[in-house]
Amino acid sequence: MLDTRYRVEIPGGIHLEAQVVGPIPRAFAYAIDLIIRGIIIVALWFASIPLGLSGMGGGVFLIFLFVIEWLYPVLFEVFARGQTPGKKMFGISVINDDLSPVTLGTSLVRNLLRTVDFLPLFYLVGLVAMLSNRRFQRLGDMAAGTLVISVREAARPAAMEEVQPLAPSTPLSRADQTSIINFLQRSPQLSRPRQQELAAILEGVTHEKGDNGIEYLHRIGAWFLGVR
Amino acid sequence: MDLDKLQVNACIRSGWQALDLGFLMARAWWRLLCIAGLVPMLPLAIVLLAIFFDSPFWALLVLWWLKPFWERLPLFIASRMLFDEAPGIWSSMKSLPLKDILPWLFWRRFSPQRAFDNPVTVLEGLKGAARRQRLRVLHGKYSDVALSNQFVCFLCELLLAFGLLVLFDFFTPDVLGIRFYDTFGDLTLAGEWLFSLAAIIAMSLVMPFHTMAGFALYLNRRIELEAWDIEISFRNLAERKRSLQTPARILPAVVLVFGLFGAGVPGSAEAVIEHDRESSAELIEQILQGKDFGQEREVRKWRFKDMDEEAEEEESFPEWIIDFFEWLEGSQGWWQGLSGIAVWVKILLVVLFAGLLLYLLRRYRGPLSRLIRERPKETAPEVLFGLDVTPESLPPDVPQQAIRLWGEGACREALSLLYRASLSRLIERYELAFRASHTEAECAALVRAHGIESLSEYFWQLTQTWRRLAYGHRLPSDDVLHSLCDGWARELSSGTE
Repeated sequence: MLDTRYRVEIPGGIHLEAQVVGPIPRAFAYAIDLIIRGIIIVALWFASIPLGLSGMGGGVFLIFLFVIEWLYPVLFEVFARGQTPGKKMFGISVINDDLSPVTLGTSLVRNLLRTVDFLPLFYLVGLVAMLSNRRFQRLGDMAAGTLVISVREAARPAAMEEVQPLAPSTPLSRADQTSIINFLQRSPQLSRPRQQELAAILEGVTHEKGDNGIEYLHRIGAWFLGVR
Repeated sequence: MDLDKLQVNACIRSGWQALDLGFLMARAWWRLLCIAGLVPMLPLAIVLLAIFFDSPFWALLVLWWLKPFWERLPLFIASRMLFDEAPGIWSSMKSLPLKDILPWLFWRRFSPQRAFDNPVTVLEGLKGAARRQRLRVLHGKYSDVALSNQFVCFLCELLLAFGLLVLFDFFTPDVLGIRFYDTFGDLTLAGEWLFSLAAIIAMSLVMPFHTMAGFALYLNRRIELEAWDIEISFRNLAERKRSLQTPARILPAVVLVFGLFGAGVPGSAEAVIEHDRESSAELIEQILQGKDFGQEREVRKWRFKDMDEEAEEEESFPEWIIDFFEWLEGSQGWWQGLSGIAVWVKILLVVLFAGLLLYLLRRYRGPLSRLIRERPKETAPEVLFGLDVTPESLPPDVPQQAIRLWGEGACREALSLLYRASLSRLIERYELAFRASHTEAECAALVRAHGIESLSEYFWQLTQTWRRLAYGHRLPSDDVLHSLCDGWARELSSGTE
């Protein structure tokens, strides 16, 4: 089963889940960061002109250039929950592959190895590496044991019409309850015939036909949502 | 369309996550999709490259222009793979829809959402007004995501083409004399050929990813609009309920019930084995010695090293260090030049050391100041085990008051007065550090630790009597009370000082 989901079992027997993020959003996030870094560097260049570019100013500028080029992602990843400004804009974040927050060590390794991913031209090796494994890790990520995951919040459930709740007549598993709740919450996006089709699948369970089936499932869904 | 065979996890995803899913699909079926893209393209590529031998860019341009056509076969095959069919390339080519190909090759050639719209034409076979209406439904909120797919994949193609060229340049020895550029900076024929080949390779390598990302976006929209995930889950539920109702399930249940009862009978007989007192004590001891109850403690202590052994080792001073210093002495002039720097290094080290010292002082100023300052005196508690032990709460003559209370039948009050008066005196006079958390026995132990034999003897007796009364409701005899009162007057009354 193909899925972007990444699962980790932590010692308490609890499963943590995250959605790994592929090259396209990461490329955009990188582009944003590149622009921000470019602006900072140009500003610094102008700022160091009064000090004399061929002397002191040039030296200071080069030192800042070095720090920004190498530590910009590290600082943001360690102190801003794994998100550089570009990553924040695209709702993605760097995290250790056991889904613990990224640390200074892992972030340093991942960003120092950027050079390797950059070879031979503008992240070609990184791109190939990313597409060679199902977690979309570039070489730096593999060495550091980090992932890029999606942290955007799930869409809020749609507003619900007034539905009279009804207790289900048979016990249902949690997954079944979730899908019935989904059926209720997503009904504004589903066409009426499609809803009838879906309700007809459960005719053997609900013993209701047509629109009655839809209404019955909606009422059970409202019950599962805690409406009383 | 049999959703039970769907090869991707149907759930609601954002547009970006759908693109990622598309990349995963392309990864999973990569080889087949690449071949499906190349098989129709290769013959034409060979013919075109042969025709435009002197200017292969024209061949490249034609091949690139026909891209919407090359994308159809991989898309068609992926749509079958998605539902766990494995179509052959030849049979798929025969059933490949050529519908609406002209618009795609002309006025829709530069549509920024080609990969997203393609499935409507290729898989749903819609055209004209029906297609437009369908696209209006599908596009919704995903136009920008589809556009970024197109954009990034185009960049990837360029990157791959130039990257391959650069790699080739890196790894070909100069002696071969292949030159990509002439003296005016224009591409040579070899350069043109290499670039064209690299671009064709890049095109066919990126194509599966681009197509699949668009396809996944289309799928995502359909999962959303048609609630595929809900259908799959409803089908499972209906299937489970149906199989529960069939009689085939009854038989295992019957076996299970009988199996349980059958197993229950012999187990109870062997459960109890008689043990007498001694053998069970032995057994307990044995179990306590075992691994589950045993305790291992790791103790770390400082101890002196065996100096003799160390000395032997130290004698083997590394030869190369001696050599190094001898060499340093030998090259005097160079060494003299360094001495000026050495002074600066020395100053630097002193400053660093001073800084470190200051930092450490600052860092540990809390613990240090606590060391220097006197520890604040602990305030004596006012209440112990619910008894008020302040001196102010006591009557002037404690033993007499206690005997009076005892005479009135208030035995509890009498003894508690005696006990709390003792505690109060002990705190006041001997400055014993009772804490509110101490128990009666701990207080008695503190008195014993104070070292006055008769006092601790008396206090222990009082504590025991009080505990018996307070918790055990066992009254002491008149004699005991009188002796305790006498003892109080002897050991603790203020007159003894």
